[in-house]
Order: sequence, then C-alpha cells, then structure tokens
Amino acid sequence: MIKFENVSKIYRDDFVALNDINFEIQDGEFVSIVGSSGAGKSTLLRLIYAEEQPTEGAVFFNDVPIIEISRRKLPFHRRNIGTVFQDFKLLPKKTAYENVAYAMEVCGAPTEEIKSDVPQILEIVGLADKMNKFPSQLSGGEQQRVAMARALIHKPMVIVADEPTGNLDPVTSVEIVQLLLKINKLGTTVILASHDKDVVNKAAKRVIVLDRGNIICDDAKGKYKIC
Amino acid sequence: MFLILGRTFKEGIKNFVKNGLLSLAAVSVLTISLLVGGILFITSETASQLLKDIESKVNVTIHFKSDVEENDILEVKKELENYSEVDGVEYISKEQALETFKKNNANRPAVMQALEVVEGNPLPASLVVRTHDPSQYETVVEYVAKASFKEDVREINFERHKEIIAKLVKITSEVKKAGMVIAGFFAVVAALLIFNTIRIAIFTHRQEIEIMRLVGASNTYIRLPFIYEGIIYGLSSSVISMTLLFFAVKYGTPYVSKIIPSKDLLSFYYENIGMMFSVQLGVGILLSVFTSIVAIRRYLKI
Repeated sequence: MIKFENVSKIYRDDFVALNDINFEIQDGEFVSIVGSSGAGKSTLLRLIYAEEQPTEGAVFFNDVPIIEISRRKLPFHRRNIGTVFQDFKLLPKKTAYENVAYAMEVCGAPTEEIKSDVPQILEIVGLADKMNKFPSQLSGGEQQRVAMARALIHKPMVIVADEPTGNLDPVTSVEIVQLLLKINKLGTTVILASHDKDVVNKAAKRVIVLDRGNIICDDAKGKYKIC
Repeated sequence: MFLILGRTFKEGIKNFVKNGLLSLAAVSVLTISLLVGGILFITSETASQLLKDIESKVNVTIHFKSDVEENDILEVKKELENYSEVDGVEYISKEQALETFKKNNANRPAVMQALEVVEGNPLPASLVVRTHDPSQYETVVEYVAKASFKEDVREINFERHKEIIAKLVKITSEVKKAGMVIAGFFAVVAALLIFNTIRIAIFTHRQEIEIMRLVGASNTYIRLPFIYEGIIYGLSSSVISMTLLFFAVKYGTPYVSKIIPSKDLLSFYYENIGMMFSVQLGVGILLSVFTSIVAIRRYLKI
C-alpha cells in the first residue's frame, strides 16, 4: 500500500535527512518507526502525507507515485491519511466536538452527516462524555484522543502518528498505543513514529529502525532497539 | 458546493469582524478612493455640461460694413447655407440689431443717451452662423476670410468665445487629472492596507490553515474566506461611498445651482445611480479581491 523506492531527502544546506530508503507497508499493518531525534522519522512520515517531496526516488501510495498527484487532488490524498502529532494541533477555541466536526466541515460534509458521525467517533476514542469540553479543560491524553478522533473522521486507510505520546506520561502513553492497536484491529493501517521504548515494545509489531537517515533494521516482530 | 460557499462565507465575515480596526482602516481608505472617483465623475459631467451650454451659445457673427446692401448680404447668406458644416444662418438687419441693443440696455440710461446723440443707426447688419459642431467654426471663419465678399466684412466675432472655451477645457482637464491622481493615490494606499490586513488574517489563522491542509480541505476551501473578506471590503466601501456621495450631492446642489442654473445634481445622481454604483462596486471589489489574491499567493502556502 505504501512503498518507498530509493528515497532520499536532502535539505537545502546539504543535510541528508533520508538516504536511499527502501521498504513497503502492506494494507492493515502496524509499523513502528524508531530512532533517535533527527534520525529522519518525521521526514519519512511527511513524505507519506505529501507535506514534502523526495529529492530522489519515489514514494508510492496504492501504486501511485505521490509526486504525480496534482495540487488539486492532493487534499483528497490527504483524506486517506489521518495524522496525529505530539502537540495535538487542536484549535483552542473549539470544543472537542467542534474540533472533530471542523475536519468534516472544511471537507464539505453535510451537516447531518457531521451530527451523526462525530459523536460516534468520539465514543470510539472514549470521550463521549467530554464532547463539549475545550482542549484546555482536557488532559494531555484526552486531547490526543480528540486528535485521533479527528484523524479517524474521514475513515482513512492509514493513520500516521508522529510521536503521539511525546507529551504524555507513561500510563497515558500506553493507553494511546492501545487505542492505536484497536484502530489497527478494525482494519486501518497504522504507522507510528516514536523514540519511546515502552510504547514500541507495548505495540510489539513490525519495527523499522532509522539512524541518521538510513534504515538499519526492519524486524517483523520487533522490539525497540538500536541495532 | 453551496455548503462550501456558505461555510467559507461565514469564515470570511468572521475574519472581517475579528480584524476590527484593520478592516475599518482598509474600508475607510477604499471608501475615500471611491468617493473621490465619484466626485470626480460628477464634477467632470457637470463641467462638460457647462461647456456644452456655452458652446451652444457660441456662433460666428459676421458684421458687415454699413454701406453693404441688404440684397448682397442675403446673397452671402445663401452661399453660406450651401456649406455642409453650416447648420443655419440668421440675418440680423441694422434695425433688428438696434432694437435688440435698445432692449438689452434699457436700464442703462447713459448708453441710451449716447445712442440718441449719434445720428442714425450706428449698428451694423450681421449674419449669425451656427455650425453642427463647435470645431467647425474655424472652417467658417477661414472661408469668410478668403471669400469674394471679404471686402464687405467689417468684423468676424469669434475669437473671444474661443478663448473662454479653451480656458474652460483646460481647467476641466486639470481638475480631472488632479482628481485621478488623488483617487489613484488612495486606491494604492487602500490596496496596501487590504494586502496587510489579509496577510495578518492569514497569520492569525495559520493554525486553522495547517489543520485544514492536514485533514484534506480543498485549496479553494482554504482560500475562499480570504477572497470573501476582499469582497466584503469592496462591497461595504462602495455602499458607504455612494451614501456619502448622496449627501454631498444633496447638500451641494444649492451651491452648484447658483453657478450653473440648468444643473440639478440630485436628479443627475438619481439618473446615474445604477451606473455609478456598479462602477464603484466593480472597482472596489476588483481592487480588493485582486489584492487579496496577491496576499494569498504570497503568504498562504498550500
């Protein structure tokens, strides 16, 4: 479903973020991308949701090279990918419900559909009772759940999570991973970038280890390690 | 589609209100620019009306020497009437001229006394020539100067009017130029203000914009609120400008009527309200939407 073919990403000042990356992710997989800060995890994810383009090589999404997707079609590509970040990226002046509804509104979903879908998805992430709370009234873990609900609202094929537990305590982090596993079980592919050993070990799924832009390990039943 | 248009329109209005003072500044300056344009239009129309009035009163008067026979003058009249430029020729005999002169100076006893002192009728017979177009007077004057009867002509009375007209034309065009410079200046300032306001709107909405991109909002959806903001600038400015112009005309009419009695500015305003409003609306919206697009292209990375 997602394929990296000889992908390199070199930034302007000759900084090599990714160097000749090759791997493939199948439909329904759960893949952890690990590595220390600056190893190239975020860059790799950004290539998937087309925030960046590779300097060399190509990234394929359902056999289509992402670079060939026109600017006009790019939003539709992004609707196939739910994104979750360390800093949640919630709108502070909107409630949990409104934050999720916003993602549907801006994509032109009818009001009726929004009214029926948003409570459902908030139920799945376990926030049915906190729908009308603002982000400032929610804990970090709860805010991340709102962000995950928002990422799921378009029923994406993939969830891309970039350090989703970076701002959370260990117990909450485990809860978030469990939620990601639940989402994966329901059929959505999950790509999780993290440098948190416990989080990755808890998932106990395929692990790709990055070091200074190179893949140094790719284990199908992996544990967090520096090979 | 309507859903998207409606939602983005709401966002546009929100932006406009949220930007408060900045919006106010942009609208004010755009209003001034449109207002100057409107005033310019009304003044130049009034001035050209005035010019037309004067031009219609202009004619070439050929005064004949007193020893020229009436029959000869009528011959000349016939000859002049054959010219395609000539609209009409009127013969004014010595007697008619004297009568008119007396009528015009009835309340000036000194002139009347002087007239009595002079024996007989001192006034010449004349032909008053009108052409279809004021510019054709020159041709007539040239023709008379070369004609076979030029010896009989005492004076051709045209030059005086020509100077007045030339002066008026010059003043009008100067006023027009100055007005255009002022309107242009304010238009540029308005554009800069709108540009800055949209830039700031984009900046304050960077979080929303980032999220919209991530969740897959279309580029149009992200841009539309800022375009709408531009439309609101143009719309409100032209409405305000037309309202101000109405009051300016309403309270200005009595003063203008003193100078140009034939001119009723208010009815002129009503006659042209549709045209003026659409021009102002068009200019206002085009200017602000164009500026918004420039700002969006510059600052809104999609």
